[in-house]
Amino acid sequence: MKKKLVSILLCACLTASALLSGCGSNGGGEQGASADGGGEGSSDGKYSEFITVDVFDTLANYQGTQSGWFAKAVKDRFNMELNIISPNVAGGGDTLFQTRSAAGNLGDLIISGTDNGRFKDMVAAGLLMDMTDLLKDKDVAKNYGTAIAKANELAGQDGTWGVPSEISVQSPEVSLDGIEPMVAPYVRWDAYKAAGYPEMKNLDDFIPAMKAMQEKVPQSDSGKQTYAISLFKDWDGNMMVGAKNFASLYGYNELGFVLSKADGSDMQDIIDKDGYYVKSLEFLFKANQEGLVDPESTTQNYDILSNKYRDGQILTSLWSYQGPSLYNAVDNKAEGKGFKPAMIGDMSPFSNGCYSTGNSKTVICIGSQCKDPERMADFIDWLYSSEGMEISGQANGAGGPEGLAWELKDGKAALTEFGQKALHGEKVDVPEEWGGGEWTDGVSALNFKACALVDQDPKTNEPYMASMWSSMLAENTTPLDTDWETYADGAKTTIEWLENKNALSVAPGASYTPPEESSDITTLRNQCKAVIVDSSWKMVFAKDQAEFDSVLKEMQETVKGLGYEEVLKLDMENAKAEADARAQAVKDFNSSANADAGEKTE
Amino acid sequence: MKNQQKKAKSAKAKSDAQGRRLFYCIVPFIILSFLFAYFPLHGWIYAFFDYKPPLKLSQCEFVGWKWFATLFANKTQVSQMVQVLKNTFAMSFLGILTSILPIGFAIFLNEIKSTKFKNAVQTLTTLPNFISWVLVYSVAFSLFTDSGMVNTLLQQWGIITTPIKFLDSDAHTWLWMALWNLWKGLGWGAIMYIAAIAGIDAELYEAAKVDGANRFQVMKNITLPALMPTFFVLLMMSVANFLNNGMDQYYVFQNSFNKEHIQVLDLYVYNIGMTGSSLSLATAISMLKSIVSVTLLVVVNFVSKKTRGESII
Repeated sequence: MKKKLVSILLCACLTASALLSGCGSNGGGEQGASADGGGEGSSDGKYSEFITVDVFDTLANYQGTQSGWFAKAVKDRFNMELNIISPNVAGGGDTLFQTRSAAGNLGDLIISGTDNGRFKDMVAAGLLMDMTDLLKDKDVAKNYGTAIAKANELAGQDGTWGVPSEISVQSPEVSLDGIEPMVAPYVRWDAYKAAGYPEMKNLDDFIPAMKAMQEKVPQSDSGKQTYAISLFKDWDGNMMVGAKNFASLYGYNELGFVLSKADGSDMQDIIDKDGYYVKSLEFLFKANQEGLVDPESTTQNYDILSNKYRDGQILTSLWSYQGPSLYNAVDNKAEGKGFKPAMIGDMSPFSNGCYSTGNSKTVICIGSQCKDPERMADFIDWLYSSEGMEISGQANGAGGPEGLAWELKDGKAALTEFGQKALHGEKVDVPEEWGGGEWTDGVSALNFKACALVDQDPKTNEPYMASMWSSMLAENTTPLDTDWETYADGAKTTIEWLENKNALSVAPGASYTPPEESSDITTLRNQCKAVIVDSSWKMVFAKDQAEFDSVLKEMQETVKGLGYEEVLKLDMENAKAEADARAQAVKDFNSSANADAGEKTE
Repeated sequence: MKNQQKKAKSAKAKSDAQGRRLFYCIVPFIILSFLFAYFPLHGWIYAFFDYKPPLKLSQCEFVGWKWFATLFANKTQVSQMVQVLKNTFAMSFLGILTSILPIGFAIFLNEIKSTKFKNAVQTLTTLPNFISWVLVYSVAFSLFTDSGMVNTLLQQWGIITTPIKFLDSDAHTWLWMALWNLWKGLGWGAIMYIAAIAGIDAELYEAAKVDGANRFQVMKNITLPALMPTFFVLLMMSVANFLNNGMDQYYVFQNSFNKEHIQVLDLYVYNIGMTGSSLSLATAISMLKSIVSVTLLVVVNFVSKKTRGESII
């Protein structure tokens, strides 16, 4: 009998604990953390209580507590640590956002996209806090008041609910990409050189050039067979990313099912047979027929592909952060191996312009359940300050902490010995007084660009982006760099070269976000894009032209049957609105610049 | 007379008390099944709203049967749904067809005399059940991609010149999936039957041997019939789960090339509902699914009652 009683009790306990463990997770983390960090306080003594801040960050690619030198910088100034919650890491699309928002608390700080009415919905659902009073006397409100006001027009209610990202003081027609555009035909320069710098008038000429490169460099560094092109499927959205990139080479960018040209002169339906998207698919199909496409493209993911790039197995890359940043290591460059952009006669790569009124597609907000909004406002203010940009912007190419990674030499920013190693991708340990740990682990996981990195740092009078510093540009003296510079008629950077050739399509930076669409459209869109993406892959890997054509036809018929036209109509309207907004942004900037100039002359 | 009444009364009280006690024993389970099986059903209400997180349900528009109608809005929608159902039924049917294999496996395993070998085989075949599909896929990936082991070996032996596309082709998708499923579930499925075999009266075997039956006759006439009740219960349950053939397996194996034939109902719901954030539509589909499942169960139970004289619910 006793035994029975014990077992019943045990059962009851287990059931109860199982039931209860699901609840009550709110705030548990904060309590635990405040115990161990108590006593010290921030350096200015303003914050005596140590807190853990939950940051819901749709840009982050890391989940967990921020560590290393960025954590130390934040702790010293605000006596807090950042617990980053990343939907990208958690996976499952929107699930994490949905479950957290259903609980009514996204986090203390929220970095989120605003598309499809999300900003408005978050405000309506009471997830955000009105920051009007909090930011009133802060520099961020003084310096970027117009941009903040503009972004909050999307919120649907009066108040300051979020601060837009990538705010710039430059003209919307200046490229935001620093030294390298989002997309350019990067090729393995050693292979291209060995093939005798084949001239390419158009995209079709790229195929024989790639073939020659593949013949000249048949093996990777570890002896595997090389391929000119390798694709992956992880990031496919409205269309196959690998194909869309070739359209971007010609100045187009996607907006739903529309490819719209940077200057607003052309808008194409992606399933149109004569459009750039289908042309790109055909190009990839032809390349595959020639044996230039890695057959593992269909099954591999981004990480596997990255390793192939590191090994030198893939000979071209359209993204600067793929080929060039993964393979152009110091050792490889010294051997004359590395990625550099080649010229395709008729290309004009797409590049985003600076957002003079901020990029309202991503905003930073304070959560409505936040316990210490004052401190969050201070933190946001710091992110938008010169020092904040240097330190947190390092994730996107800024210099990092002054004194550790760089210093002022003759009034110009220059990397320290430590910075030379750290910013060139070498593994280095950070000194203990700066937070310790490995440099790369300490980089800000927020991945948030508060201001434009191409804007000038008032401290150095040079852009925040370290690769644009005159001291850094002067360092590019390896045989690879000099050989390319000769090819590029003396240009130092890709952007400079493309601008000289008048072959860069800068889409003026406009604070435009497509309006909320109805659920019917969203559902249709999801069904259509699945068909489009799947068919695109089938087309690229089709056996012959007949199969390519028949899959294309089937895709067009299926999506039209589902109701594609309805979605397309909306996307076309949005694309037109975006083009108008871009033109308006240029106009506004010029008129205000003229007004400023007028004031000065008076 | 009075005495007798008293006796009856006390007996009744006794059985009442015992009944109550037994009832208390199952109360936790009633609560649990209510909490986890019935309480979540209130979520069906989302199917009738245009639900958009993070808005609260009260802030969303009531749309009635719109989402159900959407599924059959036009010819292409219907044909997509039909294709998905075809896949679901095909895979479930293959699953049921292969569900006789664990019986055979259990019977033959039982005939092995060496206990060590028997245990080793049983452990090795049960183990795959505990490997998650994600890991199974990574094994499949390293074996069957273009530069995977199988293709590399075949090329080195000169059997093929170009790699065979095992994973990213739409050839025999249903069959492949059934085979993976079988590999993973064979040993696990046999456990139930092995247990049932252990419960068969040993006297029956002895009697059969005395009567001169050989091994195969014993299997056919004693073991197999004794396993039939177990088999039928499992069969009926799997028929009721006809539409629930899970999604993790198909989720990890899906790609652009095989999607047409791998997309089962659960995966379809996930693909358009969760990743596409059309939660209301996804709810509507799963409601339909529940209704079909319950109908199937009732039908199967009816058939079972008629043909075998026993019901399972």
